[in-house]
Amino acid sequence: MGQPEDKKPDFEDPLSDYSETYADALEQALSEEPVTAIQAQPFASVSPDTPISAAVELLSRLHVACLLVADGDKLLGVFTDRDVLDRVALEYDSVKDQPISTVMTPDPVFVYETDSTGAALAVIAVSGHRHVPVLTLDGSVVGVVSPHRVTGFLQSVYETT
Amino acid sequence: MRLKDSLSNEPVSRLALRDPVLCLPDEAISEAVSRMRDRKLGCVIVVDDERRPVGLFTENMLSRLVASDPSGLRDKLRARMAEQCHCVRPTDPVARVLEAMQRSNTRFVCVVDDDGKVVGLTGQKGLMEFIADHFPQQVMVQRVGSPPPSQREGA
Repeated sequence: MGQPEDKKPDFEDPLSDYSETYADALEQALSEEPVTAIQAQPFASVSPDTPISAAVELLSRLHVACLLVADGDKLLGVFTDRDVLDRVALEYDSVKDQPISTVMTPDPVFVYETDSTGAALAVIAVSGHRHVPVLTLDGSVVGVVSPHRVTGFLQSVYETT
Repeated sequence: MRLKDSLSNEPVSRLALRDPVLCLPDEAISEAVSRMRDRKLGCVIVVDDERRPVGLFTENMLSRLVASDPSGLRDKLRARMAEQCHCVRPTDPVARVLEAMQRSNTRFVCVVDDDGKVVGLTGQKGLMEFIADHFPQQVMVQRVGSPPPSQREGA
């Protein structure tokens, strides 16, 4: 009994020639581009003991809609225009001297800098948080992605394809 | 249909339009704020007697007002509103919403009928939802305190 003339390998990877295909460049960008492709800086942060009045003043002076609340490198929450609407504006005189930690949104949904741009968009669309902190894998704050920054990214891809 | 084609060809009416808070110009800002809270919306559309938009007051403008003059919440909307309200029609392509937001740096776009009367509200959130619908596999929500992917067990 002899050897077969064409000996086949014991295992053939069925995905060896697999490559993702996309319908268009916009889909590819959302799937493959890391979230760092979206503008995430500049961003502003405050400590959790910052008075509410100072935080609101900072929002206005910097012309931003979101402050990250952090203790050193550790992200604790976000304070946004929506928090001013929901918990500050009508009660301003009685809450203005309290620390920002009492009215911030704690434990915000975030993305890692290695996540896809599509993931940041999904966080905004699904969880309803407009401002998404971007963290390194060890938890340090890199920046914040806003819907305006996402639409700027989408527009740039849209116009170049 | 490719996403780009969807943006160019699908009408604004395919977005999940929101029922806006409508206020008259002489209503107090504090009243508008209460209604924004109740409805969980970030703006009110200021309209005339025939529901035609004449202005917009947003939560961003509210933050500026609280920072500069908290007593201004007693003012009428007409004194503090933006007199420009960007509008699209239900039959316009979705891409028009994207263009309006980028051009004017606004979050909110008013949807009006052929008579210019308000029929809905859309903007960043509606557009994000529309695009996210094309990428269900990308939904990945994490919270502070979750271990990074490299430390998770399993797939």
